[in-house]
Amino acid sequence: MKRLRPFILHQPSSVREAVELLGAGAGETRVLAGGTDLLVDMKLVRVRPTAVVNLKRIDGLDRIEHVEGGIRIGSLARVSALESSPLVRARCGALWQASRVLASRPVRNLATIGGNLGRASPASDLAPPLIVHGATIQVEGLEGKRPVPIEQFHVGPGVSCLAPHEIITSVFLPDSPARTGSAYRKLGKRGGGSDIALVGVAVSVLLDDGGRVADARIALASVAPTPLRARAAEDGLRGRMPSEESLAAAAEAAAEETRPISDVRASSSYRKSLARVLTLRTLRDALSLAQQEPSPR
Amino acid sequence: MISVTLTVNRVHHEAAVEENITLLEFLREVLHLTGAKEGCGVGECGTCVVLVDGSPVNSCLVLMGDADGHEVETIEGLAGDDGLNALQAAFVAAGAIQCGYCTPAMVLAAEALLRANPQPSPSEIGEALGGVLCRCGAYSKVLDAVSTAAAKGVRP
Amino acid sequence: MTHVGDRVLRVDALEKVTGRAVFGSDMALPGMLHGAVLRSPHAHARILAIDTSRAERAPGVRTVTTGQDFPFTFGASIKDQPFLAIDRVRFVGEAVVAVAADTELQAQEALDLISVQYEEVPAVLDPWEALAQDAPLVHPDLHTYRRGGHEIVPHSNINTVARYVHGDVEGGFRQADLVFEDEFFAHALSHAAMETHAAVAQYRPADGGYTLWVSTDRPFQMRNELAAGLGLSSNQVRLIVGCVGGSFGGKNTLVAEAAAVALARRLAGRPVRVELSREEDLVASQVRMPVLIKLKTGVRRDGTLVARRAEFLWDGGAYASNAVGIAVRGPRAVFGPYRIPNVEYFSRMVYTNKEPTGSYRGYGTTQAAWACESQMDIIAHRLRIDPIVIRLRNAYEDGDPWLNGQIMHGVNARETLEVVGREIGWGRVERVPAPHLRRGKGVASMMKETATPTSSNVVIKVEQDGRVVVLCAAPEIGAGQATVLSQMAADAIGVPLGAVSIPATDTATTPFNGPVASSRTTYHVGSAIRMAGLEIRDKALALAGKVLGVEPELLDLDDGVIVERGVGPRTTLRELLTGFGAEGFSLLAEARYSSAGSPLLKADAGLEWASSIFWMIASQAVEIEVDIETGVIRVVKAAAAADVGRAVNPTGCEQQIEGGVVMGLSNALFEEFIMQSGRIENGSLADYKVATIQDLPEIVPCIVESDHPEAPFGAKGIGEPAAAATPPAIANALFDAIGVRIKDLPLTPAKVLAAIEAAKGQGVFEEMGLR
Repeated sequence: MKRLRPFILHQPSSVREAVELLGAGAGETRVLAGGTDLLVDMKLVRVRPTAVVNLKRIDGLDRIEHVEGGIRIGSLARVSALESSPLVRARCGALWQASRVLASRPVRNLATIGGNLGRASPASDLAPPLIVHGATIQVEGLEGKRPVPIEQFHVGPGVSCLAPHEIITSVFLPDSPARTGSAYRKLGKRGGGSDIALVGVAVSVLLDDGGRVADARIALASVAPTPLRARAAEDGLRGRMPSEESLAAAAEAAAEETRPISDVRASSSYRKSLARVLTLRTLRDALSLAQQEPSPR
Repeated sequence: MISVTLTVNRVHHEAAVEENITLLEFLREVLHLTGAKEGCGVGECGTCVVLVDGSPVNSCLVLMGDADGHEVETIEGLAGDDGLNALQAAFVAAGAIQCGYCTPAMVLAAEALLRANPQPSPSEIGEALGGVLCRCGAYSKVLDAVSTAAAKGVRP
Repeated sequence: MTHVGDRVLRVDALEKVTGRAVFGSDMALPGMLHGAVLRSPHAHARILAIDTSRAERAPGVRTVTTGQDFPFTFGASIKDQPFLAIDRVRFVGEAVVAVAADTELQAQEALDLISVQYEEVPAVLDPWEALAQDAPLVHPDLHTYRRGGHEIVPHSNINTVARYVHGDVEGGFRQADLVFEDEFFAHALSHAAMETHAAVAQYRPADGGYTLWVSTDRPFQMRNELAAGLGLSSNQVRLIVGCVGGSFGGKNTLVAEAAAVALARRLAGRPVRVELSREEDLVASQVRMPVLIKLKTGVRRDGTLVARRAEFLWDGGAYASNAVGIAVRGPRAVFGPYRIPNVEYFSRMVYTNKEPTGSYRGYGTTQAAWACESQMDIIAHRLRIDPIVIRLRNAYEDGDPWLNGQIMHGVNARETLEVVGREIGWGRVERVPAPHLRRGKGVASMMKETATPTSSNVVIKVEQDGRVVVLCAAPEIGAGQATVLSQMAADAIGVPLGAVSIPATDTATTPFNGPVASSRTTYHVGSAIRMAGLEIRDKALALAGKVLGVEPELLDLDDGVIVERGVGPRTTLRELLTGFGAEGFSLLAEARYSSAGSPLLKADAGLEWASSIFWMIASQAVEIEVDIETGVIRVVKAAAAADVGRAVNPTGCEQQIEGGVVMGLSNALFEEFIMQSGRIENGSLADYKVATIQDLPEIVPCIVESDHPEAPFGAKGIGEPAAAATPPAIANALFDAIGVRIKDLPLTPAKVLAAIEAAKGQGVFEEMGLR
């Protein structure tokens, strides 16, 4: 059996306490949220923390609630809670769809949105949806709280902008205007949808009263060192009536913007092909949802 | 060492354990409930799945510190004094068990599903059980077993 | 009341559904220590020095053992594999040092304190490299190793050469109207049983022997392999087998056992468990043997096969394990269930510096069927003959001679093909739900012999309470062995099914059996059980006759009740035996069944060694859906038929058929090892993917029967067939869907997409009316 090496376990009951423990952490101190990444890394001895700070005794970090101007999701909300939240389903379509295809149900019952973000994997299923939803990540550290726009959060593969003493406390997703539709698709090694994304695509489309694309946001997983926002592709859609041709052109443009690597899961050329195909399909999904939206919520 | 209190199959336990012990190790090596298995140890195979507060989780990825205060159900706790529970009986009747290594996890995942969703569609069954691998490929009859148990309206 | 033919519930279901079944990794003994293994990071290197001193002093560590301490070798066909690497390592992951400690964590941590100095030497990483004149030799001393009588090429990497000729293939090619030449590749696969390799070993200082608690499919063969490797007599080694969490051909040689024994030797009688992690199981146990197959086939214009020559280059990995038989016998499956008057094969297996290979559900059949059935469709399409029609035209019928002249009985390829064709709606084109999807149907057939001759011994004892205990060494590896054998015992004797029990295999007390492999258990152990069971029945009735004062010929035993014809129930087996009171009584019978000497094996002069006591035939028809923009293949439906002779337990047969389809599609679509300089890069379940319940197609299992003259209760075997037909059926369906032929496995989305793109360039798509 795989055994964990010994470590000191801290179980703070407040964010402040947690942050101070991280700040004071002699040697390697790691944050434990759902455990589906950290404990795997520890079992495979990729990391050997001397201390682990378990955040799950801190009350109130797992709430999913409507607040002024949007939705606030506590960083310790389990991915399965996102999946079963009517709020998330109604207001953050792409995030909801992503939460349904992350790993497997038993893993989703453990994994947290904060843990997923904190790992800063370019393959994260949740990051592209958060990007197209325009999310802000609430961070707290020794110096206090600071909001980090999602697009500034990822710095490199596996590297976020968090200082060692900082943790994510919540994620804020602003309300989207009426006639917004968003969606997420991915493809894994088993073709279907629950393996690590070879490519993942999130799209959000906002239509104006005339049916033109007022705004489009396209974000991709696993095609660059960090989750990628395909701005050139978006630009091609804005202000125009959406058509199969414009969607196809946007998908092509998005694929052009990707810089995927070849790794054990897929080649860069296959990823580029997938990026184009999945972006087109996700655009169609999001557009269709936007077109179904009748009037302002 | 940490002090942990939890119920396992409706039995209350108080234990002093090392911080680095997972729920899977505790169940297998302290309580000698070996129904939960390690098939990979990293959350990919699902053979370690048990129910914590009714939800299926990979017990290989749950520290005992996090099991503290919770209710755990393992396969050994499903059958009552009068025999197998309805879902277990359905698995046996349908021929859904081959080598049996994944069976405890498969049954528990299905049990959790039926409690929350008594009339699941085949794709819902697939979603609920997709995290438990069966190399014998017994999926066809597993699907039959869960569907039959649901159709009978058996309340697990 | 009979049970053979009924869908009786599996006798092992209760313990498994309650989590009480004890598998290898559940085995715990008092005083048991835990082992861990340090493995080679290099594909090929000399070991210069090993420093274990720090590890020996680590907390809880009881012993540290190297190959120098334990310089023994083993091997099923060639004694080429060290228990622990001795002076060199030959594949990444090879076991080098073993540690036993009080806890598993202590053993694992102690590995970090061991330092090994290696000198890397050139590695051989593919079979063509291995064949080259100046190739580095993986086993320079091959010619000195103890081995079976098969042909090797000394001073080379070729550890097996096999040839076979029947008829005149050159003449056949000249007679043929068309000749097809194609090359195929079948890839390495992990068995990926959910239970990883695990073993507990205990040294017995008193007699210098060992007791092992193992999960294996062949206790006697493993026992003999261990004894031979250690220079012990076979009765000094005792193997006890509990529940096996899946084998699929992978649990047959010393994997965890080797390290466990090497450690046990130094622990003065304390047992030690070695359990492989999933990663070790993937990269350091055994895999299916990859192979390049060249197939040259001559056919008449009407599709009749006239001649076939097959050339095999098997990539054997660093140690021969039990793969030699695959290279020698496996090729025969490449001729399929077809009458081919002129056949020839040339088969070579080479050593390479990669993970050892071995048996894998089919023993070479899955690879051979990949080639045979892919080419059958290539031929069919070129000749414009329906793929099912061409197979029916060539399929063996009862009374046909096999490729060694043996007359075949109990072969029903025809019905397997007809039923799957019906069930899949062959000829009906399915509506396509979306522009980026295509549907296609494909069929494949296969035939497999069984290892012949092999034997099985059985002892049956009936206790005074009427309980029947069947002693046979047939571990329940998940395929339902215990249940069908119980059914046959109950029927042979005439007792209720619940009265029969089959205790765990223990080589000290259970009599000899061949392996639970080659789909041989139902037939061979079943034959022995039937013989012994009938003897028990005769003895019981003779005894009853004496006690009741009735001629035994007038008595019957049914469901445990002794009935006098024309009179009615007179007593029960239990009453009869209990009547002996304190004097006590056990009814005993033993039987040995061997296929050797059966008149069914007669063949052409000098070729009887190639005969098979029975054949299994399976056909599959699949419907797939291809996403032509992503290359993803989804199997929508699979109709899978197996000619089992007679179904002892139809549910059990369905379990094998359905399970085989799932494994087959997983093998074909998802599984592959990504290698880099001899290192497996995806050695974990995160990146070696096997099918989940969400990949399940609609499966229609079809049990087909045939008449085998000697089979016990008419039953042959079923374990291996289904997984073999699925991959070629999928490839054939892919061709039907999009006109693209892929000849190497696996059929990954990227490969399918690339083939689609290439075909577009060649205009194939325009022909098929695609974009």
